[in-house]
Amino acid sequence: MAKTYEKEIKLNDYSKDVLTDFYKTMAKIRKFDENLIRLMQEGKVSGFYHSGIGSEGLSAGSIRQNLRDEDYIFYNHRGCNQKIAKGVPLSKIYGDFLGTIEGTTRGLGAGIVHSADPARGVLGQAGTIGSQLGISVGTAYTSKLTGTDQVTVVYFGDGAASREMLHGSLNWAGLYKLPVIYICENNEYAISCHVSETHAVKENIADWAEGYGIPNCVVDGNDVLLMHEVVKEAVERAKRGEGPTFIEAQTFRHRGHFEGDPYDYVDVEVLQGWKDKKDPIKNFAAKLMLEKIVSEEELESINAEIDSEIAEAIEKAESAPLPDPKRIYEGLFA
Amino acid sequence: MRKITMRTALMEALNEEMERDDTTVLFGEDVGKFGGINAVTKGLYEKFGGTRVFDTPIAEPTIVAAAVGMAITGNARPIPELQFGDFVGIAFDEVFNKMGKWRFMHGGQMEMPVTLRLPIGIAGGAGPEHSQSPQALFMHGPGLQIVIPSTPYDAKGLLKTAIRDNNAVLFFEHKVLYDMKGEVPEEEYLIPFGKADIKKEGDDVTIIATALQVHTALEAAEELSAKGIEVEVVDPRTLAPLDMETILQSVKKTGRVLIVHEEPKTGGSGAEIAAQIQERALFDLSAPIKRLGSPDVPIAQSIYLEQFYTPSKEQIITAVDELMEY
Ligand SMILES: Cc1ncc(C[n+]2csc(CCOP(=O)(O)OP(=O)(O)O)c2C)c(N)n1
Repeated sequence: MAKTYEKEIKLNDYSKDVLTDFYKTMAKIRKFDENLIRLMQEGKVSGFYHSGIGSEGLSAGSIRQNLRDEDYIFYNHRGCNQKIAKGVPLSKIYGDFLGTIEGTTRGLGAGIVHSADPARGVLGQAGTIGSQLGISVGTAYTSKLTGTDQVTVVYFGDGAASREMLHGSLNWAGLYKLPVIYICENNEYAISCHVSETHAVKENIADWAEGYGIPNCVVDGNDVLLMHEVVKEAVERAKRGEGPTFIEAQTFRHRGHFEGDPYDYVDVEVLQGWKDKKDPIKNFAAKLMLEKIVSEEELESINAEIDSEIAEAIEKAESAPLPDPKRIYEGLFA
Repeated sequence: MRKITMRTALMEALNEEMERDDTTVLFGEDVGKFGGINAVTKGLYEKFGGTRVFDTPIAEPTIVAAAVGMAITGNARPIPELQFGDFVGIAFDEVFNKMGKWRFMHGGQMEMPVTLRLPIGIAGGAGPEHSQSPQALFMHGPGLQIVIPSTPYDAKGLLKTAIRDNNAVLFFEHKVLYDMKGEVPEEEYLIPFGKADIKKEGDDVTIIATALQVHTALEAAEELSAKGIEVEVVDPRTLAPLDMETILQSVKKTGRVLIVHEEPKTGGSGAEIAAQIQERALFDLSAPIKRLGSPDVPIAQSIYLEQFYTPSKEQIITAVDELMEY
C-alpha cells in the first residue's frame, strides 16, 4: 500500500533565494488566477475556466528547482499552476485566454488546456482530461531512445485517474522503465463526485501503481517543500534509469469546478478548514516569517512586484490585436 | 400550448420513460445528484434511486461498453450520457464496432436498446474538443441510428422513441438549444424515426438543416421571404434512418437545394444527402446543390474566432441568392 511521504525538512537547508522562489511562484500563480477571474467577470474571457487556487504548492514545489527547460511537463486542466511554475510568460498565457496574438497559439486561443511552449518543455494538453497520460509515455520513451536525461512529469486529477488510459500508461512506463513521474493532483472531487464514489482502491489511488511495480507514495500536496523533496527523489531516480514514480499529492480546490459552479456538493466546513488551515501560501509565508528568513516587509514588496508584473502582462496581452479570421486556416499541417 | 425549453422537454422524456419501464438505467459523469452538467438529468437520482441512476468514473469507453453489456442481456435498457459528444472519440470502438455491430455479428440473436446521449455544438469558447458535431462519422457506421432534434417538441418525442427502440441510438443534443423554448403538448406523443419535418413551406429553394442550423435557416427564410423568395426548410430530425422521400418531394417542387449544418463541410451529413439527391433526382434540379458547413479545420478555442465556424444567416441568404440566379 502507498506510504505517506514524510521527511524532516529544515528551512536552513535551503538558500533564501530558493525559498523566496517557491513563495514567489506560488503567489504569482494565485494572483494570475485571481486576475483571470476578474477578466472573466469583466466579460473579457470565456467562463470556461477551472481555478487552481488552493493548490499552488503542489506545482511550485514539484517544478521549481527540480525541472529544467528541457524536461517535459503535461499540465492538467486546473488553473495555470504548472505552466506558470515552468516559466511560460504570463502575457502569453493571458493572451491565450484573451485570444490575442500575444498568446502561445498566436490568436487561436487556448483557454486552460491548449497553451504550449515547447522551448520550455510544455508540449500542450488535451481537452479530454487524462489523455496526457498516454502521450507522456511517448515523450519519456523518446528520452530513452535518444539517450538524454530529460524527464517527463505528467499532472492529472483524481478524476482523470479513472480514465482507462492510466493503466495502459503505467504498464508501459513500468515495462520500459520510462523516465516519467506521475503526479495525481487529488483534490478529492471530479466535478461533483467525491473520489470515494468513483474509484475502487485499497486506500489510495497511488496503490494502483503498486501492481505495476512502480514506486509510489501519498504526499501533502499543499506543503511546497515536501512536494519539492518527493519530486526531487523521483527525478533523480528517473535520471538514473530506474523508471517511473507515482506521486499522489493531496490538496483541495478553493473554488468550484468551473466559475459559476454552486460548489454545494462540498461540505462547507471541510472547505473552510482547507482554506483556513491548509492554504499552501499562507502557511509557507508564516513559516518563512517565523524562522525569520524573510520579513513581512520583504513579502509585501515581493507581492507588489508580482502585482506589477501581472498588470504588465495583462496590458501586453490585451493590447495585442486579435488575429485575422484567416488565422484558422494556418498551421494545420507542418 | 405551453412552451418549455428543450432541457425540460428532454427531462420529461427521461422521466416518463423511466417511470414507464423499470428496466431503464441511466448513467454517466455527474448525472446523479448533480443532475448533469447540462442539468438535463436533474431529479432523476432522487426519484429512481442510485442503482438506476448513477454517476460513473470518468471512463468513456467503459460507459459505452457497459451499456452494450447491459443491453445484450435483454434485461436492461441503458441510457448512458457522455458529458460532451466529442468524447465519442474516446469510446469510438465501443460505439462504432460494438454498439453498431454486435447484434449483426452474432447473427441477430441479441438486441441493442441503448440510447447514448451526446451534447454537441459550438457554445461559447469551449474549444476544439468540446464543440464538435461528430454525427456524420456514424452515418458510415452500420447499426447505429442517429437522432438530432432542433426543437423541444422533436427532442421529447424522439427521445421517448429512442428509449423504447430495440436498436442503438446516438442522440445528439446541440448545447445552444437547451435553453430554447418551444411548444410541447402536455399529452404523451412519440415521433417515429425516419420522418423529416418541414419547418417552413416554400416553393423556391429547399434548405435542409439540422439542429441549431434549423433556426438560422428559419431566420434567413424570413428575410428572404420579405424579398419574395420562399424557401422550404426541411429538418430530417434523424440522419439514420434518413427520410429521403420528404427531401425528394421538396426538391421536386423547388429544384434548388441548400444543405446547412454545423459539421465540417467535407464529409458532413450534407455530403451524403447531396449524393443521394443527385442519384435519385438529378433531373429535378435546376441548380447545383449547395452546402454550407463549418470550415475543415479544428474549432479554435477563441470565442472571437468561433463565430467564423458556425454558418450564419448572411451566408445562407447569399447561398440562396446564388441558387436563385440559375
Ligand atoms: C475524457 C474526459 N471526460 C470528461 C471530461 C469533462 N471533465 C472536465 S474536468 C472533469 C473533472 C476532472 O476531475 P479531476 O481529474 O479530479 O480534476 P479536478 O477538476 O478536480 O482538478 C470532467 C469530468 C473531460 N474534459 N474529458
